[in-house]
Amino acid sequence: MKVVIDTKRCSGHGRCYMHAPELFVDDEAGFGQVIGDGEFGEEQLEAANRAVRGCPERAISIENE
Amino acid sequence: MTLTDPTFRLEDVPMAADRTAGWRAFIDHGDVFQATDGTWFLTSTEAVQFGHRHPEIFSSAGAFAALSSPVPLIPIGIDRPDHIRYRRVLDPMLAPRVVNGMEDGLREQVRELVARFAGTGRCDAVADLARLYPTQVFLTLFGLPLEDRDRFIHWSETIIEGTAARSTAEPGPEVIEAGAELFGYLQGHIETKRSQPSDDMLGRVLALAGDESWTDDEVLGLCFMLTLAGLDTVTASIGFILMHLARNPDVRRALVADPALVGPAIEELLRLELPAPMTPRLTTEDVEVCGQLIPAGSTVMICLATANRDGDVFDHPDDIDLGQSDRGHFTFGGGIHRCLGSHLARRELRLVVEEFHRLIPDYEIEAGFEPTVVWPSGTLHLTSLPLVFPSARGIQS
Repeated sequence: MKVVIDTKRCSGHGRCYMHAPELFVDDEAGFGQVIGDGEFGEEQLEAANRAVRGCPERAISIENE
Repeated sequence: MTLTDPTFRLEDVPMAADRTAGWRAFIDHGDVFQATDGTWFLTSTEAVQFGHRHPEIFSSAGAFAALSSPVPLIPIGIDRPDHIRYRRVLDPMLAPRVVNGMEDGLREQVRELVARFAGTGRCDAVADLARLYPTQVFLTLFGLPLEDRDRFIHWSETIIEGTAARSTAEPGPEVIEAGAELFGYLQGHIETKRSQPSDDMLGRVLALAGDESWTDDEVLGLCFMLTLAGLDTVTASIGFILMHLARNPDVRRALVADPALVGPAIEELLRLELPAPMTPRLTTEDVEVCGQLIPAGSTVMICLATANRDGDVFDHPDDIDLGQSDRGHFTFGGGIHRCLGSHLARRELRLVVEEFHRLIPDYEIEAGFEPTVVWPSGTLHLTSLPLVFPSARGIQS
């Protein structure tokens, strides 16, 4: 699966790296960034779903190949 | 679209003792509606998201112009493109990694405040803690003397109380006097810090050079804005959180037993009890939201508190559920004006609960006292929260 942040929607709530630190990190302004290229194994699906649910802006999506 | 016939009167909403009943009254009236005073309300998640995602239609500059502030309200009262320029500078100054660096000092401060009353068996959590701590944090962040705390509180509370009531009346003489004193105080420190650079947020803003540099009016506007937005709100949240923890001993005991639950509990209480439950906007054009036509030039309240209780999005939305604390909420707003201080505010709240529980794990609201908020008002807070508890022994203050 691929985890994506829509940067147009992201406004820096910082929930993704709080709820799923295995998938996201904070940048120097406090905005979330996907680790690496965003490709993760299915074992990270639960963490990805936490991030999706926790984002007030609905900026995070999971794409299945 | 037919003309609406507003029947919704804010003063009829039963908000004072119970926000669940209050916000249900808003939700039951519709996703988008107009109140008798002409103000529009966006209440559902869908409507609130729409408002947040279209800042060019829902203008903050227009809405905050009504306050007639003598300085620009940076960044909340600024529209794009200037807003982008300000936030690019300010966001990194209040990012989580900056807050991490402040944590030990901020924990020490709240520990001292709690220790002062922990041995006495009672406190007013608002007067003795919630009113004091956020101002200390602000002074620390801005590199201003902590000894100025009490007069700073006097100025900010006088200004907020004089402007929070939704009215177009001119500010009273006490508001004008407090504003002048606050501006004079800040102006003096701006001058000092311009000549003596300092490693704090005010110093860092003043150190911006060249095209990035800010005028005194801009710096004053930022200080003024953060005073209005960052003190009363955290004060209110501390009061609400301790009120709910006093009323819900099961939740409180769970937090005392497992401090890892403090963060989740705070998220749920933030979702349900908003110090700034609605953010004002002014429409720049006719716009249809959830089937309702809102004319250009309308005052619109983006109602964060109701979106946080949207039954289409959340299960049992009015209940505290630590197992669902990851549900995203709008207490810090959304879109380009998402609360600049959210990371610091969350940290302050966590430190307060951790340090309060360290010395006072068991407490209840004084018998006979009913905590209430003033309503209608643009901001909500408890004016008092008397708590009683077994005296902590061996406390050094």
